Amino acid sequence: MLIKKSAAPGNASRQLPGPVARHLGATMDRRAFLRRSGLGAGAGVLAAQLPYNLIGSADAANPGAQSATGGEEVRRTVCTHCSVGCAIDAIVKNGVWVRQEPVFDSPINLGAHCAKGASVREHGHGEHRLKYPMKLVDGKYQKISWEQAINEVGDRLLKIRAESGPDAVYWIGSSKHSNEQAYLMRKFVSFFGTNNMDHQARICHSTTVAGVANTWGYGAMTNSYNDMQNARAMLFIGSNAAEAHPVSLLHILHAKETGAKMIVVDPRFTRTAAKADYYARIRSGTDIPFIWGMLYHIFENGWEDREYIRQRVYGLDKVREEVMKWTPDKVLEVTGIAEEQVYTIAEMLAKNKPSTVVWCMGQTQHTVGNGNVRAMCILQLVLGNVGVSGGGTNIFRGHDNVQGATDVGPNPDSLPGYYGLATGSWQHWCRVWGVDYEWVKSRYASEELMTKSGITVSRWIDGVLENPADIDQPGNLRAVVYWGHAPNSQTRGAEMVEAMKKLDTLVVIDPYPSATASMAAMVRKDGVYLLPAATQFETSGSATASNRSLQWREKVIEPLFESKPDQTIMYAFARKFGFADELVKNIKLVKDKQGWDEPEPEDILREINRGTWTIGYTGQSPERLKLHMQNMHTFDVKTLRAHGGPCDGDYFGLPWPCYGNPELKHPGTPNLYDTSKHVMEGGGNFRANFGVEKDGVSLLAEDGSASKGAELQMGYPEFDDVLLKKLGWWDELTDAEKAAAEGRNWKTDLSGGIIRVAMQNHGMHPFGNAKARALVWNFPDPVPLHREPIYSPRPDLVDKYPTHEDKMKFWRLPTLYKTLQDKVRDISKEYPLIMTSGRLVEYEGGGEETRSNPWLAELQQEMFAEVNPKDANDAGFRNGDYIWVESPTKARLKVRAQVTQRVAPGTVFLPFHFSGWWQGRDMLEFYPEGAAPIVRGEAVNTATTYGYDSVTMMQETKTTLCRVSKA
Amino acid sequence: MARMKFLCDAERCIECNGCVTACKNEHEVPWGVNRRRVVTINDGVPGERSMSVACMHCSDAPCIAVCPTNVIYHTEEGVVLHDKDGCIGCGYCFYACPFGAPQFPNGPAAFGARGKMDKCTFCAGGPEENHSDAEFEKYGRNRLAQGKLPLCAEMCSTKALLAGDAAELSDIFRERALRRGKGFEAWGWMTAYGKDKEEAK
Amino acid sequence: MKPRFPLGLPAAVAAFVLLAGCSEEPQVVQYEQGKYQGKTDSRPWEGGAFNGDKTAWERALHDRVRSQNEYRRVE
Ligand code: SF4
Ligand code: SF4
Ligand code: SF4
Repeated sequence: MLIKKSAAPGNASRQLPGPVARHLGATMDRRAFLRRSGLGAGAGVLAAQLPYNLIGSADAANPGAQSATGGEEVRRTVCTHCSVGCAIDAIVKNGVWVRQEPVFDSPINLGAHCAKGASVREHGHGEHRLKYPMKLVDGKYQKISWEQAINEVGDRLLKIRAESGPDAVYWIGSSKHSNEQAYLMRKFVSFFGTNNMDHQARICHSTTVAGVANTWGYGAMTNSYNDMQNARAMLFIGSNAAEAHPVSLLHILHAKETGAKMIVVDPRFTRTAAKADYYARIRSGTDIPFIWGMLYHIFENGWEDREYIRQRVYGLDKVREEVMKWTPDKVLEVTGIAEEQVYTIAEMLAKNKPSTVVWCMGQTQHTVGNGNVRAMCILQLVLGNVGVSGGGTNIFRGHDNVQGATDVGPNPDSLPGYYGLATGSWQHWCRVWGVDYEWVKSRYASEELMTKSGITVSRWIDGVLENPADIDQPGNLRAVVYWGHAPNSQTRGAEMVEAMKKLDTLVVIDPYPSATASMAAMVRKDGVYLLPAATQFETSGSATASNRSLQWREKVIEPLFESKPDQTIMYAFARKFGFADELVKNIKLVKDKQGWDEPEPEDILREINRGTWTIGYTGQSPERLKLHMQNMHTFDVKTLRAHGGPCDGDYFGLPWPCYGNPELKHPGTPNLYDTSKHVMEGGGNFRANFGVEKDGVSLLAEDGSASKGAELQMGYPEFDDVLLKKLGWWDELTDAEKAAAEGRNWKTDLSGGIIRVAMQNHGMHPFGNAKARALVWNFPDPVPLHREPIYSPRPDLVDKYPTHEDKMKFWRLPTLYKTLQDKVRDISKEYPLIMTSGRLVEYEGGGEETRSNPWLAELQQEMFAEVNPKDANDAGFRNGDYIWVESPTKARLKVRAQVTQRVAPGTVFLPFHFSGWWQGRDMLEFYPEGAAPIVRGEAVNTATTYGYDSVTMMQETKTTLCRVSKA
Repeated sequence: MARMKFLCDAERCIECNGCVTACKNEHEVPWGVNRRRVVTINDGVPGERSMSVACMHCSDAPCIAVCPTNVIYHTEEGVVLHDKDGCIGCGYCFYACPFGAPQFPNGPAAFGARGKMDKCTFCAGGPEENHSDAEFEKYGRNRLAQGKLPLCAEMCSTKALLAGDAAELSDIFRERALRRGKGFEAWGWMTAYGKDKEEAK
Repeated sequence: MKPRFPLGLPAAVAAFVLLAGCSEEPQVVQYEQGKYQGKTDSRPWEGGAFNGDKTAWERALHDRVRSQNEYRRVE
């Protein structure tokens, strides 16, 4: 029986009918009245309508516009929790963020969000935020004023700088900074006088950036989430996109629905695997043998794209030699994947083209990370899948702006735009900054230290703890500034607290106290400062999503409590350090509500535009980006291109490279190296970045491989003034451009004239047209080789596939490989299980921010370890028991057992977002009062072991060893 | 006339809890109350499937049938709502509901009504003035009256969860099913048609 | 304590008489199958944004439903 609420037909009016209204006496009990009105047929609608309609008639005349009523404003921003870049409409009323609405117009997420994105409004509550500057006094955090904080921290850092040189201070920036903040930070730390700075990209995709850039030019995702809709097959290896990049699955599952084959290779049967057509379980850390195993079948069956290889790939013969050693039996022995499975996957990729590959930290965070990613690139080159819509290497980045911070932010080995640290690069940027090169040089301890890569964030603890005689810089680190970075994302946590103990000064600048605050208070009595930074919703700026699209965030609310945007804090410290004027030479200052000076984000972006020619961060003016944000609905979801409207012809977010001045109106590049398009339509080819020949063999692409419409259909080197003159195109420059371009190349010509002439007039790519390098001769393993992890479960394979030799001066530090591997060769007898880590959908990164959000915290309330039933039974515990997970460092983690077949026997998986417990003990008392995250648990990295990539110093987190026992 | 329904596409749901969080966000649902939940079967093994479940807004709603105070009702669009003022928190609906949808908040903070039943409202508020503070405090926001659909579905990361007029949802779903060109992976397929096949194995 | 009708009983309770006078308190909780006894509710299109224009409301909802179908924007 259906019960319909009674409603008078035709009585849609909210007016109270006269007779009933008269009955509304003051004596009448409200509930009784309401109940009665429920019975009185015909009087239904009048019931609960007192007080009368809150919404004025002006709005009522405009149906659907209700969210804009009552002083509500809509601010468009972008989720800060991963690199997908989902747009959000924030509804703000009287300065309070009251609602969050989906942005169906966004071509990236079409309104969709995962749990993290659906929760961002909680930032507007921020109950567990760091509310004001604090200082550790006698083991407890005490409130101090901003003035005191800037003065004390500034004095301490200046003192260290005077005593031990600028390289004694280590700056850890953030992939959660906007492009403008990240860029300003690189400049800020340079003016402090050191390259000792880094951010999350080091421990997330540094191996990708180095490996992929050295293969074909740019170290970034080649295509886009959207473009995966064009794929016919997709291989996920070392990526759990369903949890790490949930909204990407919108495009991926759509592609699957329209016939694409989805393949997952992973040590865990992940939620991504649950959606796949095909799954294979691999032993952690054996990606190269698996990829070579696939290539073995591809070569055997002639599935390679010969013409593509001939035109566009260098050095494949050497790779083939190595590949053919990986016969199916060897692949099975090392990876655990049977021949039939390897063959099936290879065939699926080869016969369903275009096929794409996706990888994340499962590939990158290994001692052979750079080899893993290059092997993936080679696979795609062999199949002719790069520079093709639906193909490419879709490298999903992590943080919302890790791509941008990598591109223009605080990297220890490069100035913004991957310019490197050579003197010429410094001179280029000094011209952009409007400062004297000699002055910047004088800020550094020496020219040698100015041009030498700094210590990486993965190793800062060794910068503190290492014997000073063995460090490749004047002395140990004495101060560390954690500016938007979690400590529990770096390995060897047990040693980290030792390093924290030894420091002179430790500074945290973050919206949350972060695990740094509690770890430090656990081992120190003083010398720790916490400064509250604003979130990205409390300032404005641009962020670069994984697909290289830039999106502009409007400021949603004023900074909560006493927090300040990072650029404001940077400027305040610059004043203290005495280089404020140099820092903002070309940047306008605006006053905030408290009278502080804030460098304006728009102006910072304009400065980025003026200098970052290498990777085409030059065309994305704030005006163009804002126009895109307001006209999202005009962009096509599959191609990301605008059809009509004010952004006609542009790709959404002007994905870099967006070459030339904004006036050149380059549309951005949706898929890198795509020769089927004209360069002014986002087309391109592989970059000529490694010379024109090697050992007598040309590195330039073969004839017929240039991008569509290029005047010279052949390989050619990158453009500079000389080439322009040789080609007879010099006079196409204006006089002003000539003056700026003389003696320069396309990367350092500040007028953009060389780029304009090459691209617009002749359809040529300013970075030249070369072959991709299957053989990266400048890396330790020119052809990627399998090397067992340092802590390997297989001593027999360690003998066959040993790691590298130790390195003495590597990113300023001695780095162990072989000696350590030999020492622990048989340690798997005591620690028989592989320990690996990964993401959960509800949390991000170190997790303090998301674990402070009640809507998310409620969903994952405890740290756990996934253990196979066999291992659980062998160790004598059950699902839900507390267990100890102990690693060879002797650190022990007390976690809940989740007994599941998701992991194979012999593998233990732990999520890496937890912190706030230390080897069985809750660290609540060490947090500033009221600012501890709601959910606390053991950090997996408390127990992780030593091991670093041989090119980038990426930490090994995915393959180490452990044992488990009932707690 | 629209007949409001949810539809969760198990081929798409990735257990990301976006829907659960969207609901918390939109209605300021307190800790411990879950108007929506994601359930997973075969967790961690092939055949793993997830489904997002809330009040199903049943046509012949058992909760309406059993409520001793008769405060649960159907709206014209088929949404099952209830009047918290008349709710005595007995939990009879909890017994009757096949999906565990009714929730019993604990503590005064919960929608200002200690112990009163709370459940998914299809984002349609409740028997208070549309958009009034009283409605928001007791029932959460009224999106339907704004011409919008449930936020959980509108924000679903993969558009697995759909909400709206049943006829229109089936159009959307039918298109997907056709594209997939296969059926046996779909939720319930094996139960409905797969018996013999399975037994024959 | 007022007697409560067991649920098993047929819905035999006399209809609650609506009095013209206003201050009577109901003495018992009424149970009658098929009769909603809570407060009445207004319909979504009443007042507010749509001000009683049901067609406009239905159109708005129709558009919203379609935004859940990405096939509409892709291809
Ligand atoms: S975390 Fe990523 S996928 Fe989730 S809503 Fe944010 S940007 Fe989108
Ligand atoms: S329809 Fe609204 S109330 Fe119901 S689960 Fe979804 S968001 Fe929550
Ligand atoms: S948001 Fe969608 S995909 Fe995520 S759990 Fe809910 S229904 Fe499933």
